Amino acid sequence: MSLLDGWWDDFFFGLLTVLQVFCIALVIAVVCGLLGASAKLSNSRLLRGIAQAYTIVFRGAPELLVLLLFYFGMAITLTWFVQVFDPSVKFIDLPPFWAGSIAIGLIVGAYMTETFRGAFLGVDRGQVEAARALSLKRHQIFRYVRFPQMWRLALPNFGNHMLSIMKDTALVSIIGLEEILFVAKMANSIIHRPFLLYMTVALIYLAVTTVITSVVAWLELRANRHLRGAR
Amino acid sequence: MKFMIGLLSAAIVGLAGTMPAHAETLRVGMECTYAPFNYRTPEGEMAGYDVDVAKGIAERIGVDLEYVCQEWDGMLPALLASKFDLIVASMSITEERKQKIDFSIPYRVSLGRILGAKDAGLKLFDDAGKPNPEAFNGLRFGVERASTYAKWVEAKLPGAEIVLYDGAQPMLLDLQNGRIDIAITNPMKAYLDFLSKENGAGFEFVSPPIDEVEYFGPGVGVGLRKGNDELLAKIDKALEDMIKDGSLEKYSSKYFPFSIQPSGWKGVGE
Repeated sequence: MSLLDGWWDDFFFGLLTVLQVFCIALVIAVVCGLLGASAKLSNSRLLRGIAQAYTIVFRGAPELLVLLLFYFGMAITLTWFVQVFDPSVKFIDLPPFWAGSIAIGLIVGAYMTETFRGAFLGVDRGQVEAARALSLKRHQIFRYVRFPQMWRLALPNFGNHMLSIMKDTALVSIIGLEEILFVAKMANSIIHRPFLLYMTVALIYLAVTTVITSVVAWLELRANRHLRGAR
Repeated sequence: MKFMIGLLSAAIVGLAGTMPAHAETLRVGMECTYAPFNYRTPEGEMAGYDVDVAKGIAERIGVDLEYVCQEWDGMLPALLASKFDLIVASMSITEERKQKIDFSIPYRVSLGRILGAKDAGLKLFDDAGKPNPEAFNGLRFGVERASTYAKWVEAKLPGAEIVLYDGAQPMLLDLQNGRIDIAITNPMKAYLDFLSKENGAGFEFVSPPIDEVEYFGPGVGVGLRKGNDELLAKIDKALEDMIKDGSLEKYSSKYFPFSIQPSGWKGVGE
């Protein structure tokens, strides 16, 4: 592997960038997913409409396109928005890191909306009625009754979405973020070993996704532990 | 969870690091993957002819530089969206691009040459150096997207089957693998990266240098947003000085065994 000498540190920092994008996108996706699912299940027509529009747009548009729109469009929109409040501001930029993380978070959030909605619907209505009969408050019902049971149902799909986020991070090299794919491109322009370099990238991704898969398997085991005795 | 929090805080610190730079810093956009013009060494240093030119300009007008890596396709939109202030990325000065941005005076020649397999017996140009459009019919022709070469090929050789690439690297790889029959690109780069290497042993230039000013313009220049006339004048002045005192010639001799200046262009790979 002496061919890659000198590039390992670049791959390492590239991997750090990927993991940072992953964490931020994951947080955004979970928040958007929970909000979206709650909105879709709410009684308000307006909220349902907004959530519906959100999932249609972000599940329907190609991911690469959303990413480019965010990167090139957001700076202009943000500037315009901030100037409304503070006209002295000339220019606000959205760095590629945040453009990428937010775009991926919103896209996967749209998928999570559907996953969470399905999972919330899978929780038996009787459970909620029983909780009400015990005079639990709304947030208590969410925290102790609906969420833990929804979580168990959502987990398998949630794992899929985590893998999607991880793999989507490869897209951010297109907006100039120096993650591992970009490192491979840079190295390739000098050492001309495309197969070796792209295989290295593939193996790094595979290593990370394997860790994610095992974590999800462990979470599933934990979420289902109350069922184990019944089998 | 602690790990996650650690990463999150690292991300926030990282964001702080990319906050808009102060006034005396110019952000320079380039591909960072276009050796030997602009690339990054394994040590993490930016290097190449474009980088040397950018550094030379910065030194002469007294500013700091910050490099922004940007894919070729998005180079103009990114400049217009203020993702950086200058393009120093081997971009040819053309009329079409001049409608959107301003250019400095040229700092090297801009031309293309077509590569093909030695044993394919390609006879694409007549003795006067004019392309014979018929000869291109049905040939799979590799071209870099959004490049001056693409404009020329589309206009001159409608019979060729154009295959678009995001960069010279994947295009030359496909040429080598036989996915395309011929490819047009920068002859300096093609010679250094390909023809002079083992991979390119079976290939040669199958065209004379193509430098029609109408398509390729007067050369490669520094690009900047319109309305920065003061900065443009400073850059032009710096480039003129660098041509006069031989700095550009010196930079190019670091990478090329031949001159790439408009005055001293001799051709390569003959």
